Amino acid sequence: MNSDSFDPEAEKQAVAPDAPESPSRREFLETTGATVAASTVVSFATPAMAQSADTAAPRTAISVSVNGVRHEVEVEDRWTLAELLRDAIGLTGTKIGCDRSECGACTVLMNGAPVYSCSQLAVWADGAEIRTVEGLARNGELTPLQQAFVDNNAPQCGFCTSGQLMSATALLAANPSPTADEARAALVGNLCRCSNYNAIVEAVVAAGEGGVA
Amino acid sequence: MTQPTRIGLEPLETIGNDTPRIDAVERVTGAAQFTRDVKLPGMVYARVLRSPHPHARIVSIDVSAALALPGVLDVITHETSPIVWGSGCVSGGRQYNDPIKDATIHRRYIFNNPVRCVGDSVAAVAATDRNIAEAALDLIEVEYEELPFVLEPEEALADDAPRIWPEGNMCPDTRNQFEPMTSRIGDVEAGFAEADRIFEQRYETGFVHNAQMEPRCALATWEGDKLTLYTPSQGISNCRHDTARDLGLQDHQVRIIAQYMGGGFGNKNQNQDADLVAAELSRRIGRPVMLEYTRRDDWLGVHGRWPTVQEYRVGVKDDGTVTAMQLRGYSGMGPYRKNSGGISGMDYYACPNRLREIYPVYTNRTTSGNFRAPSDPHGVYGVESIMDDIAYEMGIDPVDFALRNMRRPTEEMQFTNYLLEEVITTGAEQFDWQARRRVQPGSDEGPLKSGAGFSFMMFRAGLGTSSAVVRVDSQGQYILYVGVTDIGPGAKTTMGMIAAEALGVPLSRVEVVWGDTDRTPYSVGESGSRTTIMTGYAVVQAAENLKRQIADRGMPDGADVLIGTATPVPTTDGLIRQCFAAHFVEVEVDMRMGTTRVLKYTAVHESGRIINPTTARDQIRGAAIQGIGQALHEDLLYDPRNGQPLSPGYYRGRHLTHQDIPDIDVTFIETDDGYGPFGAKTAGESGIILAPAAVANAVANATGRRMRSLPITRDKLLQEVSA
Repeated sequence: MNSDSFDPEAEKQAVAPDAPESPSRREFLETTGATVAASTVVSFATPAMAQSADTAAPRTAISVSVNGVRHEVEVEDRWTLAELLRDAIGLTGTKIGCDRSECGACTVLMNGAPVYSCSQLAVWADGAEIRTVEGLARNGELTPLQQAFVDNNAPQCGFCTSGQLMSATALLAANPSPTADEARAALVGNLCRCSNYNAIVEAVVAAGEGGVA
Repeated sequence: MTQPTRIGLEPLETIGNDTPRIDAVERVTGAAQFTRDVKLPGMVYARVLRSPHPHARIVSIDVSAALALPGVLDVITHETSPIVWGSGCVSGGRQYNDPIKDATIHRRYIFNNPVRCVGDSVAAVAATDRNIAEAALDLIEVEYEELPFVLEPEEALADDAPRIWPEGNMCPDTRNQFEPMTSRIGDVEAGFAEADRIFEQRYETGFVHNAQMEPRCALATWEGDKLTLYTPSQGISNCRHDTARDLGLQDHQVRIIAQYMGGGFGNKNQNQDADLVAAELSRRIGRPVMLEYTRRDDWLGVHGRWPTVQEYRVGVKDDGTVTAMQLRGYSGMGPYRKNSGGISGMDYYACPNRLREIYPVYTNRTTSGNFRAPSDPHGVYGVESIMDDIAYEMGIDPVDFALRNMRRPTEEMQFTNYLLEEVITTGAEQFDWQARRRVQPGSDEGPLKSGAGFSFMMFRAGLGTSSAVVRVDSQGQYILYVGVTDIGPGAKTTMGMIAAEALGVPLSRVEVVWGDTDRTPYSVGESGSRTTIMTGYAVVQAAENLKRQIADRGMPDGADVLIGTATPVPTTDGLIRQCFAAHFVEVEVDMRMGTTRVLKYTAVHESGRIINPTTARDQIRGAAIQGIGQALHEDLLYDPRNGQPLSPGYYRGRHLTHQDIPDIDVTFIETDDGYGPFGAKTAGESGIILAPAAVANAVANATGRRMRSLPITRDKLLQEVSA
């Protein structure tokens, strides 16, 4: 699968037919499928946004880069970053487990640092570079970390997996050869109720340069 | 990677080899679609309003202001939608039994009046987006008449206790009688008369929430009189049947789709009130409705392991032989009887004189339900605590005490095979039990004290009915249709492996269709550790059926296909079929801080032949860690003054994190008893049963103090050591 492009079904629903400057679906897929460096301005509205207009909730226009694609988007001020990613942009790989900074399932990278997207307002992401789980694999090729998660059975139910991957991605960027203890410290904010902690740490260590695959 | 140690059997062609999940890539790329990720055209959002009171009569509900909020489409309450949630409260706790559901006198509705716990559902709102739905909850005006409440099961049985139901607070049994669950074997008084010493002790265990990562949600949509529900269900066939029953539909009018789901641990079999609420709202407004529970909704509106009080009396002869065992237990079921309230563990002993009386009691706490091995970990903690104390008191090694007193096959009670002694002796050797335990508990000098504990078990592995369909085309491609969902253990992969083995083809030639009642046959569901052995056995039989057809007719030509089906009714020929395990734990207790750290954990299991060692290993490791959490941290506390829950959610529940976790060493002793799919037995639940007992015994061995209440939190431990 190509995770740089949006899921076509989600994308179909995310692009309202009357959205101004909305690119054609074909253009949309082509541009989002392009390399990250050639980030493209896309602007669109969602059904949810259109419907909630009649509530007169305060809104703000922001510009945010998600997985290398720039989005000029008007958000409700009360939206969390997780809502923006999941409901407006259609990237549902980011999960909401608690919606209050307790579990870490919603972890994404904001300017390279892991944050709980349930506890960031979307407006705070104005100008930021966001990376989600959909932005890890390139052209269907898993990152070494993702491959290590597959090989070590790191996901059980899979609901915390995206968050664990994003925290571990940040760790590996800063420390290419983490020890098990370093992995545990970096991922301490990501709960796993399947309690597959042993396997997750084994995967992170295996993905490091010193790791044993 | 750390693979489990395996003793006994060689791998077959596919089975027994470490196999990555066939859907692992979807799980690591964000492509796996969970219920809340589904978006349907025209879909709207719903939220539930919950009672702020532990017990109150609703005098009136005014929804006009909520309905006037722009974007709000509908508000439903107990007045508009008196729908019985049949599996929400069942006499005797028998959730799979339709006649008992019909006979149940205490009916639980999707909205109840009176409300009987904080978090009981009062109303639901549908609106064009979730923030509007949430805002509308604040606009619903509910007038409550507060009623007296009771939180503790023993207090609830007092004559003058507030009545949660008209007949009182004992839960009714399957005949709607208000009797304790009683099991009597031999003559317990004669057994005590025979004993040289009699020991008595009382233990308490807390409410432990399943706390699965995915909060409950349901997406309902109707086409004519057919309901489609996307819902995180552990048992799509049961969910369909229950939902149809509750809504007055035929089974075929309900379609349940649950493919990926964020854990369950027992919390999500049968249908759930969220399914019914979403279906009702969707029916009324004619649009797809996504009902999302918040984390607090999930904690208070769903279920967890029942809190218990356990009073034991055990008679022992001077030679260490147990002659009598007696338990009087109380299980706090909350205001609805979702499950039995059982307290297991005494049955691991051979003692011929046993009396067990358990009182399942209504309280105004949140409802208790299924959590992984529902009756076992808390009961084993109680039984093994008193047995451990007896062993040390009498100067006997607890392992020897177990080997002397544990249940063994008898002429009347034969097993398909019996490995209990092997798992115990293998575990003791791998763990180095003699070196790690303190012969004199609490004998370490200084504030950091170490010690070791152990516990053992057997757990049901009986067979039952499930269905499977397998198809082959002229290209030699196989499609397996099984009604499993994949809640985490890897059922989809396991079913594929069993099919590949039975068909004699590589796993890559088998596609698995799962998680959709319109596309798959009946399956028992991912509860009771039944999928591998029951649905797996149906897969074997369907493959055999297909192979016979191929043998008779040859492979299909052109566009033709051959289809094998099976709905076997396997038996164990009157033999008892159990899996076996022993866990050994070393802890270090800081007597100044009251903290307990697990230093070493060894789990030895016999679960028959292991289908996929990697995923089986992680069932045991994850379950043991959940059990450590039950032993040391997790409890839903209530304020006795006002009936308010104090510790809902992960933060206050203090669930274990990456940094609290020891490496769990897993060993499988593999056997093939000739039953089940290639000799496989149960695994998923068994790993949680032993951790609370083993950890508590290790704490006792380290400190010389018996902790009589789970969880063993810092405050309790400091109170005990300063006493």
